[in-house]
Amino acid sequence: MENSKPKRRKPKPKASRAPKREPAVAAPEEIAREPTAARSSEARDRSDTLLEELEHRLDAIIGDHSLVEEPPPVPEPPFTPPPARAPTAPPPSSTLPSSTVPPPPDSSVFDTARDLLTTDFYLRRWGRMAMRNRSEDVDDFGYDPTYDKRVKPLFDFLYERYFRVECRGVSNVPSRGRCMLVANHSGTIPFDGPMLKTAVEHEHAGGRAVRWLAEDFVFHFPFLGSFESRIGAVRACQENAERLLRQEALVAVFPEGTKGIGKLFRDRYKLQRFGRGGFIRLALRTQTPVVPVAIVGAEETNPMLFRVESFSKLLGVPYVPVTPTFPLLGPLGLMPAPTKWKIVFGAPIDLGDYGPESENDEMLVSRLAETVRQSIQELLDAAVRERKSVLFG
Amino acid sequence: MVQTKTRPKTPAPGGEALVRTPAGATRRRPQSRVVALTGASSFVGQNLLGLLEEDEYVERIVVIDVKPPPSAGKKTRFYEVDLTQPTAEARLSELFAAERVGTLVHLAFHGSPSHASAYAHELESVGTMHLLVAARQARISKLVMSSLTLLYGAHPSNPNFIAEQQALRATRREPFFRDKIEAEAEAARFGERSEGAVVTVLRTAPILGPTVKSFLTRYLSRRLVPTMMGFDPLLQFVHEVDAIAAFKLAVDRDVPGVFNIVGDGVLPLSTVIKLAGRVALPVPHPIAEPLTSLGWLAQLMPAPPTFLPYLRFLCVADGVRARDVMGFRPAYTTREALIDFVSAMRLRDVKLLEEA
Repeated sequence: MENSKPKRRKPKPKASRAPKREPAVAAPEEIAREPTAARSSEARDRSDTLLEELEHRLDAIIGDHSLVEEPPPVPEPPFTPPPARAPTAPPPSSTLPSSTVPPPPDSSVFDTARDLLTTDFYLRRWGRMAMRNRSEDVDDFGYDPTYDKRVKPLFDFLYERYFRVECRGVSNVPSRGRCMLVANHSGTIPFDGPMLKTAVEHEHAGGRAVRWLAEDFVFHFPFLGSFESRIGAVRACQENAERLLRQEALVAVFPEGTKGIGKLFRDRYKLQRFGRGGFIRLALRTQTPVVPVAIVGAEETNPMLFRVESFSKLLGVPYVPVTPTFPLLGPLGLMPAPTKWKIVFGAPIDLGDYGPESENDEMLVSRLAETVRQSIQELLDAAVRERKSVLFG
Repeated sequence: MVQTKTRPKTPAPGGEALVRTPAGATRRRPQSRVVALTGASSFVGQNLLGLLEEDEYVERIVVIDVKPPPSAGKKTRFYEVDLTQPTAEARLSELFAAERVGTLVHLAFHGSPSHASAYAHELESVGTMHLLVAARQARISKLVMSSLTLLYGAHPSNPNFIAEQQALRATRREPFFRDKIEAEAEAARFGERSEGAVVTVLRTAPILGPTVKSFLTRYLSRRLVPTMMGFDPLLQFVHEVDAIAAFKLAVDRDVPGVFNIVGDGVLPLSTVIKLAGRVALPVPHPIAEPLTSLGWLAQLMPAPPTFLPYLRFLCVADGVRARDVMGFRPAYTTREALIDFVSAMRLRDVKLLEEA
């Protein structure tokens, strides 16, 4: 009748319920102190004699092993539990120096060897090691702070030494509240998301975290997708972006999408179509200010000469790039060229005057999308014009 | 119970009690205080039956099953009806009318994929049809049905949090999903055709906890847990206590609609495996499918290869509607549910070691 177990379990208040907050095991010295203090002297005598007896037995065992090479065929002594677990024996640390802690009586070199030979031992080790770079909790979109900290030096190196990013107008990014960075998308391998994140982290006074929206194919490419989501990328779709903005996050969007990273070298710094203006509808709905961002230098990292689309479906990517180095040098050819980058943040465009219901006004949406596109193109043109060298800025 | 409900001890005159929902709307309870329950031997069914036995508002529990429920009490009346039989319809409508059933709780679904897919189809799809036709004939005014968030399907195009409005896109190749999607369609038809009836469908995330057993707990109990190489989807669980509480809440309150019953937060599959103290065995996904179908045929794998997308892509549901409309607040997060399951599993392992 009453064999349904969890029925009785009322959810307890949060503090006592969460297993992580419960002290797992009392500190060892507490265990050591408490029983000895409470125990009467005659009990201590008894345990002392027990210990002595154990020591003698141990000496005998060690003596046996040192005298004869093979273990003698004498019957094994009856199994006694190891002294550390026997309820009457005080912990060995209180009476014995730690070097002479008796191992369990039936243990030997062979047991250790057997332990080391089992796969279980290594599996457990491996399992314990595997969590060292990962936090136990991630946010709604899989961002892992520990992992991010771990790979941060790589992106810092790329930002400071490799691409020598020059950042301008970062004060246009508000230090709190929701905000949308709208940037051009370029480079055959999109490094601009992580670089934008590093730029705001480094240069902005508030040190805000940028969540950028990544294309589907990047996000679901093996290894790349899980890596990107751990460092803060989010799959680009309206629902995800809206959820982020409602959490007052700083979201970077690349409305050009795959067309942006897949454009040929001759089309560099020419903004492609901005999707269907979804980012403007989103900004209107959530009343988010938009900051145009121009990223210069990423176009030349992997200049794409041709785009092969015939067997791209097989690989799950929208195109296979042909760069001066790529199929020629193998995977190494995908290394980005060390170009000099410039990230320019434009003046924020406030959409607060329009009201959330204006997202259904298609004319307004396409007009605003075009306004944002124009302002990014102007920023781009100005930055490209004042650039003297691709590699040295 | 997690939730406290405002409810007079004695029903108001006319046998109707007022229940205040969190949205502020006051609804009338059904006149009858008799609850019919199918699938009383399932995990949720067993525990819900125990809760209903304790609830003084419930007058009688009518259990419809092929075997007596293990957690039956004094208020329970057991009727042996096989939902797969063509005669079940007539028998059930008579029975509902005779017992004056007010609320029907339909939980007769498999929790894990089964090799006996023909029987599963008869029970889940056709059985639900029989049951709901009988319920409509007997003018039952309230239906609570269980479903799964797995039915949304794992697709690369899913948003990170799936709302209830999204279509159920789980693969129709898999009878486990197809039958449940058909059952949901039957429930929707029941809601359309019977006027004034309250139809509540609870889509639970995969249930984890110390006592529940399913294909998921079998998957996580393996020493080497197969994963898809290069993929690390976010997973979401609900604790068994929360899942049971949600069904009790749906019986107590009249909240029509579909609700995702999920725990807060998500965890990557790799972290789930590590927290469970297991070791991931990454398998390249092109060869995983033939291997899994072999393993499933040999009954070495807990699930057929149609479940592999869930190891690659997201299938996480948004529980905000259940919170706002139904007032359901999970006590355990996804991580806490997992840790509760893992600690119970460890305890079992230790006890087995000591016995050996």
